[in-house]
Amino acid sequence: MNDSSLSSQARDARTSLTKDAGRAGWTPSTTLHSLNIEVHALAARLLEGRGTYARAFENLILALIIFSVASIGIDAIPGLPVWAMRALAMAEVVIVAVFSFEYLLRVVAARNKLAFIFSFEGIVDLLAIAPFFLARVDTRWLRALRLLRLLRVLKLQTHVLETTVAERTAELAAKNALLEQAQAQIKAELNVARELQIAILPATFPAKPHCDSAARMIPATTMGGDFYDFIELRDGQVGLVMADVSGKGVPAAFFMAVARTTLRELASHYSDPGTCLAQANELLCRQNPMDLFVTVFYCILDPASGAVRYANGGHNPPLLRRPDGSVEELNGTGGLVLGAMPGVEYPEHSVRLMAGDRLVLYTDGVTEAFNAADEAYGTERLVAEIQAHGDGAASGLVERICRSVATFAGTAPQSDDITLIVLTWKRVEAATLQ
Amino acid sequence: MNVRIETIGQTTLVIPEGRLDFGSAGMFEKQLEQASPRKATAPAAVIIDCAGLEYVSSAGLRTFLLAARSAQRTGYQFAICGLQPPVRDVFELSGFSRIITIYADRAAALTHAPTGQP
Repeated sequence: MNDSSLSSQARDARTSLTKDAGRAGWTPSTTLHSLNIEVHALAARLLEGRGTYARAFENLILALIIFSVASIGIDAIPGLPVWAMRALAMAEVVIVAVFSFEYLLRVVAARNKLAFIFSFEGIVDLLAIAPFFLARVDTRWLRALRLLRLLRVLKLQTHVLETTVAERTAELAAKNALLEQAQAQIKAELNVARELQIAILPATFPAKPHCDSAARMIPATTMGGDFYDFIELRDGQVGLVMADVSGKGVPAAFFMAVARTTLRELASHYSDPGTCLAQANELLCRQNPMDLFVTVFYCILDPASGAVRYANGGHNPPLLRRPDGSVEELNGTGGLVLGAMPGVEYPEHSVRLMAGDRLVLYTDGVTEAFNAADEAYGTERLVAEIQAHGDGAASGLVERICRSVATFAGTAPQSDDITLIVLTWKRVEAATLQ
Repeated sequence: MNVRIETIGQTTLVIPEGRLDFGSAGMFEKQLEQASPRKATAPAAVIIDCAGLEYVSSAGLRTFLLAARSAQRTGYQFAICGLQPPVRDVFELSGFSRIITIYADRAAALTHAPTGQP
């Protein structure tokens, strides 16, 4: 392709190089300087990188090495016609010219010229051309030295390998840096998402007479989909939601946000929990591209009377602690999770709170917190904790349970969100105080 | 978690063993999908034998829901069997036992499936 242009370039460069070397003493420094720059540019173009010129030059050198080695063999054949001998001699001149040009170019381009000259590569290069210059007149034994050119193949191969490895290493490093950057960005965005997730949860229970309530959500290391909600309703009633979206990560977080908004919206329209869940289920089934679902316990408390009406969509039954220390599960489980199938009904159940009763709503992140030995915290430990602590503020019990779970889990990573609401109804106590 | 697949006539038996949680759910979902019929030209069935399943998380439950939906869409039978008490509780609690056919054990499930045997 551009072999001819290359060799003419080569010749030019060689002549300028020799001139350069010869006249360095008296040539005006500006000419020398510009020449120097040109030669370096040429060296960079032909010897470094994987550009078109560099590849072409490499291939040319490789072809010449092969040809010159072959010509040594042909040369040794006795009784070769004169024209063939002449052709070989001509070829030898061209080959040596190109090799010399390459050698000089490498010397010029090398940062440490002496180190290059005395390196393995440098010596091999020199040995490939030196016999020609030394012999001038044909000397057989010196010509045998031309066989050393075979070493050049090795040299070239090493050279190609080294450049390739260096290039790949550089590419890898660049890609790694990009990956790290992308990962850091994703991590930062996930952190923001998690913070938002926690931020949209209500910080406090609405101030209601006779009620003391506290809630806590401890997110897992991977983004989970637990949420709770306190919703102010008509006639001073208050809605409590405890929910857990299946799965983890961004899809779960999105579904959680949709489910929470949907429930909140519907709670203000429907005064009975069963209808509220049924309607929420219809809506969630329609906007559920990832086939996720959410378990929801929803109850409406009348703080004045202690009446609680509730419906359960596949969620763990809340625990009710009576003042005598007994703990019972709220019946009415087995309702289908929301988002799985449309057309499902959620029966309404009710319970009346007595003075001093404590209601504990939780997600399976509590009971299914595992320790290093792969044992689950379990409902029994939770019940025991609730039984043991009937007095004190609701927030105190929330703290105790969280600490108990953390102590149990020990060094095992938290794989699921841990979410809790404790509500104490203390009407009589409040009435006596007034 | 380990999953074995067996075929009896037109019935595919999927046998998961171990814990089906968020970590293993993705793999199980793929295996189920690969083992399930693409088109139901003849009566076909997929049965998941859960006898070796120790634990199912909510992410694990989702794979059962996806399998049931795909069966409904494609038109083959889908059932599960051999649930251990803790796993059975999860299916009861989540209401999944209301939308997925559950048999006590493999033998019971196979009597209702096309196995090519009388």
